[in-house]
Amino acid sequence: MKPQAVHVGMAELAALRHPALLVTLGLGSCIGLVLYDEGSRIAGLVHIMLPDSRQSKSETKPGKFADTALPALLDELSKLGATRSRLKAKMAGGAQMFNLPGSGQGLLAVGNRNIEATTALLAKLKIPLVASDTGGNKGRSIEFSTDNWVLTVKTLGKGVQML
Amino acid sequence: MEKEELSSLQLDALREVGNIGAGHAATALSGLLNRPVDMAVPEARLVPIFDLAELYGAAESLICAVLIRAEGDFSCNLVFMMEEDKSQELADLLVGSFCCDDEEMLYQLRDSALSEVGNIVLGAFVNSLSAFTGFSLPVSVPAIAHDMLGALLDVVVAIYGISGDMALMVQTSLSVKGLDGELSGQILMVPDPGKLPILLGKLGVL
Repeated sequence: MKPQAVHVGMAELAALRHPALLVTLGLGSCIGLVLYDEGSRIAGLVHIMLPDSRQSKSETKPGKFADTALPALLDELSKLGATRSRLKAKMAGGAQMFNLPGSGQGLLAVGNRNIEATTALLAKLKIPLVASDTGGNKGRSIEFSTDNWVLTVKTLGKGVQML
Repeated sequence: MEKEELSSLQLDALREVGNIGAGHAATALSGLLNRPVDMAVPEARLVPIFDLAELYGAAESLICAVLIRAEGDFSCNLVFMMEEDKSQELADLLVGSFCCDDEEMLYQLRDSALSEVGNIVLGAFVNSLSAFTGFSLPVSVPAIAHDMLGALLDVVVAIYGISGDMALMVQTSLSVKGLDGELSGQILMVPDPGKLPILLGKLGVL
């Protein structure tokens, strides 16, 4: 039986047991990060918007910032019984949709900063990033299935990649 | 935006900014296309950032968007967006009679024409804002993108997300009688984080 797709909106996260299909549509500068434990057959997806919660002044959804999203997702995964040391990561997103000359550093380049922050956090937490499709200037739709632990990335004009 | 709330007086003032800006943008577009252009009553309201994209349509719907950045006294990004197939009709209106065997060149020509439409529309919007407020607002060249709505609006949402969970939606829509039905496009004004009070102060509603 094919599981119903669970759509993970902006700044949201979801952790599920097999069989599960986690989906995020239309990622631009945001990051879709999947953490999974094949042994316990558990996977989670978080839709990260910004790199760093220290710039935020108010309480918000933990999935919004990379540095709060990872601990929150780890929490949900361990509640389901995932083993921390078995977790692997796959991610996609972080595009810069509008390329103005000189915009490689500014607000429009938030995608790059999201990639850097997420990658650095994974390294710090010693979670191996086994596959990723990030950067560039095209949007992506992604889905992750616990049938084969594959992250499917659809990019306009570039077709479908299986990671 | 520092504040998660704006008074109705402030929203009215911002709506008026949208109104004047879109009026000039409509006149400019009408001159370019040599056709009448209508504008809808502009909107100014606060919406949760997480809901912003879906107010414009489905996450995967195909959109053509042109962005310019205004620097100077009140820095902001401005976006002009239309449905992808409507943008292609607009390109037909502008350069449809141009024949060329080189498909890549034709594609670039159409894209360049659409960038220029965005540039003219958003430039007129910024010029009127500048005249209205006395702000000096030099603008960038336009950047064009064809992609999924959700992906294109991510960066707008992220800019608002830096300072809170609410987005100021100042938007107006322009429509022109096309070859096949109506072509309409939307203008969004997105102030840089922390810059909105500068505009509100100038408008006398801070």
